[in-house]
Order: sequence, then C-alpha cells, then structure tokens
Amino acid sequence: MSEDDELFAALGEAVAARADDDRRRAAAKAAFTWRTVDAELAELLHDSALDAGAAVRSVAAAPRTLSFGRRHDQDSVTLELEITDGDLLGQVIGEAIGTTQPGATTTVTVQRPGDADVEVAVDAGGFFTVPGVGTGPVRFRVQGAGAGMTTDWITL
Amino acid sequence: MTVTEPLSTLVSAARKGDQHAWDTLVDRFLPLVGAVVRGHRLGAADGDDVSQTVWLRLVEHLDDLREPAALPGWIRTTTRHECLRVLAARGRMRPTDPQDEAGGLDAVEEDVAETALLAAERHAVLLAALAELPEARRDLLLLLLEDPPVAYEEISRRLGIPIGSIGPTRARALDQLRRTSALRGLAAGDAAPAEGGAR
Repeated sequence: MSEDDELFAALGEAVAARADDDRRRAAAKAAFTWRTVDAELAELLHDSALDAGAAVRSVAAAPRTLSFGRRHDQDSVTLELEITDGDLLGQVIGEAIGTTQPGATTTVTVQRPGDADVEVAVDAGGFFTVPGVGTGPVRFRVQGAGAGMTTDWITL
Repeated sequence: MTVTEPLSTLVSAARKGDQHAWDTLVDRFLPLVGAVVRGHRLGAADGDDVSQTVWLRLVEHLDDLREPAALPGWIRTTTRHECLRVLAARGRMRPTDPQDEAGGLDAVEEDVAETALLAAERHAVLLAALAELPEARRDLLLLLLEDPPVAYEEISRRLGIPIGSIGPTRARALDQLRRTSALRGLAAGDAAPAEGGAR
C-alpha cells in the first residue's frame, strides 16, 4: 500500500468514526432524560451471552437467559428472562408473588427509549410473556407485590 | 461549560441533574465508545444500540462512581462487555482460533480496550487536519471516501472538475493534508526521527 493509500485509509476510518458519533450523539444526550435518582436499581446477575464457552459455541439457536436482582438485598425479588427468537418469557421470583390478596397484581413494564412503555401483568406463578420484544436497549420495571425494582439497561 | 472542564466538575454537575454537563460528557467520550464498538466490528445498527445502552446505563450509575477519574475506564469496560453480549446474542461471536497466538479472546479484548483511546485520538487529529484543507479539496476527499463509492463521473459532475484531474487532485490534497499543522504536530510529537526519510 502506498503512503497515499495508507493516509487515505486512515482518513476514511476517521471520517466513518465521526459519522458514527454524529448519528449517536443525539440519543446519547437524550439518555439523560431517563435519569431516575430514586429507583431501586437491579443489576444484571447473569447473562448467558457472557457464559464461559459462549464464545466457542453456536448460540444463535439457544435462548438467551438473563437474571436481574439486587445482590445485597435478601428481600428483593429477582427477575428471570428467557428470550427465544425475539419473544420474551419472564418470571418474577420473590416471596410476595402469588401470596398477595386477590385483586393485587404485580406488573412488569418494558421500557425502551423512543417507544411507549409496554406493561404486562404477571400470573400467580410470577410468569409473564412479551411477544416480539425485539432488539435494542431495554430495561424492565417490576411494580406491585413486595418491593418494586428497575433493572439496569441492556441491549437485546 | 466546555470539553476542557475538569472531569470531576462535569460529573458532579451531571449528578445534580445538569443536562449541559451531561452533554459535555457525551461530547468528550462518544469517540471512546465508538472506538471500542469499532474494535469489535459490530454492524452500524448494533453499534448504535450498544452506544445507547452504555449512555443509558451511565445515567443510572453516575451516582455510584466513587472517583470521576474512573469514568473513562468504566465507559470502556461497559462498552466492551455490551459488545460481547450483543455479538454472542446474535450468534456472531467467532470461534477462538487456536492458531491465534495472542492468548485467546481475553487478551484480544484487553488489546481492543487499550487501543480504543489511541484510535479516537488519531481520528481527532486526522479530522482536524481535514478541516484545515481548502473546501474544494476537502470535498473531493470526502466524496472519494463515500461508502458506497461514488463514481468518478458523478464526482466530476458534482465538483465541476474533469475526470482526469481527480487522481492528481487527490494526490495533491493528501500531500497538503500531510503538511497541515495538525499532522505536522503529530509527526513532530511521535515520529520526529522519521523526518527526512531516515528510518
């Protein structure tokens, strides 16, 4: 490669990087509007996508499983998710689920930037489904029986 | 508030809800996120998703950063992990090649993280150099860099120059780029002994 071609290629990289930054800047700045200082934040405890061996296995066909909870809070619920072909099956696990008085419900809200929230009720076993959950940044809010919580953002 | 503001000032203002301080943090670190994403060879849409997830997550974690100085490291690590998740979730993680002498995926990942910042700095210097060129030459280089490529006939029509002069003008523009103060500064800083053709 000639010196000119090397410089031209480096310049091309820099210009492409700037285009990426420009395209992402507005969304990055708008992220600040999602600030919720008082949320009980649940961290990602497990993600099958980062399992040892995920790198060397074909994982395209296997469901991705994720688990959120509050590591230092024994009373907190945990949220288990399984995503297969863009459909989500989830379970809210905690003592309070299914033991509350009739009429009281626990809900899970799927939040994505730029989209309306999707709220679903969990059944007596704590299960819920979100068909066509799609890809992109997402977080989940659990509200109702026991303590509410908001998960970290992740990319589906 | 500008990009030269100390990190601690920006982080504490953002913690108090100052959108302008947040915007300044974004302007400062967006190139770092982009460099890590590119190092993992994500497609444009996945890269955009990862970038947005990283910024959304930072919004919620601003308060747990003990040291504002830890922010670049936090951004690098979070972006790297999110890239790996997305690659695995898409089933596009390439198998580790036993012939890779680099010591497997972890070693490669560390390398990606460390070189990301350098790449972002190099890009900034090249873009500053490009900004120094006269408009006509800058436009020609940008057209030649379009992806997908623009045909020479089209470039000739848009810039009003003969097809035959595109090649020579490109060479002159690159030569001029090398002589910009941005690139001369880089050469003087890092490769001074190379001046005059000595290696």
